Amino acid sequence: MGKLELQKLTRGAKIRIGLLIFALILPFLPFVTDYLLHIAILVLLYMILALGLNIVPGFNGLLDLGYVGFYGIGAYTSGLLTYHFGLSYWVIIPLAFMNGAIWGILLGAPTLRLTGDYFAIVTFGFSELVVLFLTNEIWLTRGPLGLPGIDVVSIDLTLFGGPKWEFIGELPYYYLAIVMVLITVFVMYRIQDSRLGRAWFAIRDDEVAAVSCGINLLAYKVIAFAISAAFGAVGGSFFARWMTFLSPDMFKFWESFLILCMIVLGGMGNIWGVMIGAVILVSLSEVLRELLPLLGLPADVRFLAFGLIMVLMMRFRPAGMLPIAAVAAQMRAGRTKRRKSKPAMGIKK
Amino acid sequence: MFLQQLVNGLTIGGIYAMIAVGYTMIYGVVQLINFAHGEIYMLGAFFAFTFITVLGLPFYAAFPLAMVCCAVCGVLLDIFAYRPLRQSPRLAALITAIGMSIFLQNLAMIIWGSRAKPFPQEALPAYFEKTAVSFGGVNLSWFHFFIFVLTIVMMAGLHLTIKKTRWGKAMRAVAQNKTMAALTGINVNRVISYTFALAGALGGAAGIMVAAFYNSLYPTMGYIAGLKAFAAAVLGGIGSVPGAMLGGVVLGVAEAFGAGYLSSLYRDGISYAVMIIVIILIPAGLFGRVLKETKKSM
Repeated sequence: MGKLELQKLTRGAKIRIGLLIFALILPFLPFVTDYLLHIAILVLLYMILALGLNIVPGFNGLLDLGYVGFYGIGAYTSGLLTYHFGLSYWVIIPLAFMNGAIWGILLGAPTLRLTGDYFAIVTFGFSELVVLFLTNEIWLTRGPLGLPGIDVVSIDLTLFGGPKWEFIGELPYYYLAIVMVLITVFVMYRIQDSRLGRAWFAIRDDEVAAVSCGINLLAYKVIAFAISAAFGAVGGSFFARWMTFLSPDMFKFWESFLILCMIVLGGMGNIWGVMIGAVILVSLSEVLRELLPLLGLPADVRFLAFGLIMVLMMRFRPAGMLPIAAVAAQMRAGRTKRRKSKPAMGIKK
Repeated sequence: MFLQQLVNGLTIGGIYAMIAVGYTMIYGVVQLINFAHGEIYMLGAFFAFTFITVLGLPFYAAFPLAMVCCAVCGVLLDIFAYRPLRQSPRLAALITAIGMSIFLQNLAMIIWGSRAKPFPQEALPAYFEKTAVSFGGVNLSWFHFFIFVLTIVMMAGLHLTIKKTRWGKAMRAVAQNKTMAALTGINVNRVISYTFALAGALGGAAGIMVAAFYNSLYPTMGYIAGLKAFAAAVLGGIGSVPGAMLGGVVLGVAEAFGAGYLSSLYRDGISYAVMIIVIILIPAGLFGRVLKETKKSM
């Protein structure tokens, strides 16, 4: 290869390289303040979360309302391991990943046999239980007081006689987050094009057809849920070490909703769409957070806009801004009409 | 202690039952978990609050008026949010439902402010505070009785409506098979609207009673109550009205005892745990049928 021949690249590749270069030099642009960099990291963090959640509604067509539970599990895994054992962040990432996956399997294996509605509500209940646990088990999590003074991320080479770098300020976290997003996107693309991904799409498009092709529905759904949960936990582990403070309030239902909204806005199942959704909604959220108090309203009211976005998207553009053809066909009204009508749940007795 | 917990549990359980019935009826006719139902309950409390404080209506007038408003809200919710998606896949409708829930919650926050408000106690009839019966160290106020009686009357009324009236018959027909119901001349959309109205009125009544009983109302009150009522509906078997009634009462009692004897910190957790366990072990609930065939969720 040697030199990069720009002419030979496709338009999509050019845009990607351009965006990556922009992201890499962003902190050095003159108008970028610490606050903006903080928001940029938040955007990247939500990209990881949204990409992780995307597996469940986007690739499998199941509604997961409790994603924040896994985010919280990952954050507290990271926070507590740092707080009590002083583990390095690089050790914590795989541990958080595994912990998220384990909880995903524990919750998913019994509930994914059921229809999507039940699954949605169970995940919802689960995330509420996680918050209750984090609030009440004071011996472990310090409860509502929160977990302060979590160590920052550091690269410690003292073992090999090298120096030790501590991540101070936003800049190193920004680049760490970029690396994590790149890895996540890479993994997502590879999964999407793998046997696993194809099985998921088959499940999403038609469960009956998928089963008749020999796909084990439960196994594939549980794998999807576990991977999704694991990415949520990794996002949480980053959040804990970046914020250096955790409290159960950070993992309320709102977060799940916000992440779901990113996917709905961007386009379910579309990796690019989901990332763009994260950019738009985190920015919108921050702008509204600043703007609303000026209008004399509490900042929480910004979720009004998110609720409205979701309703309007479902009404007018259910496959999102960047729709995937298969999803668009699925979500189009009238689809269910052609299917044989099911024995509905009657009001009995 | 035991009796007191039992009474508390029955009181709150009856209220859960009233919300749960709304979930179950709506699920029965449109196969949708109406996440925004908890918000209708919250709106009921706020409507009553507004009618009493702003219009100066007495409690007995504000109560039915707020119920009517909630019924209208339920119908509007259906017409604007759910009806356009009736032929869409489940996932779209579920996302809309959760979006409407958040939207209404925040709308209430804009209109009434996000702080918890006390319910105007002076508007409540004076005898509510007085003890009606006292036995075994338990004091039952007239307010307890009011809630008990009203719950029972409404549940009985609902049961008779579903069982004995033309509308109820139409509702059951729509719940069984929409296409067939339409073929026999039933206006399916109107029946669905009617169901949303009934569910909204009952949810609103529950909201008013809770706000008055606990003397506090706030825009996020529908969120937890809605989830608990859903747990009750699941426990009873979603789609089954008597199941939802029983589920609500059982859950209320379980919660009161759990909070009293196990851990008051996990009061809210008990319902979620019950719900998850029921869904895993007996997904059909106490009275329901198993949803074996997975309906397209996308």
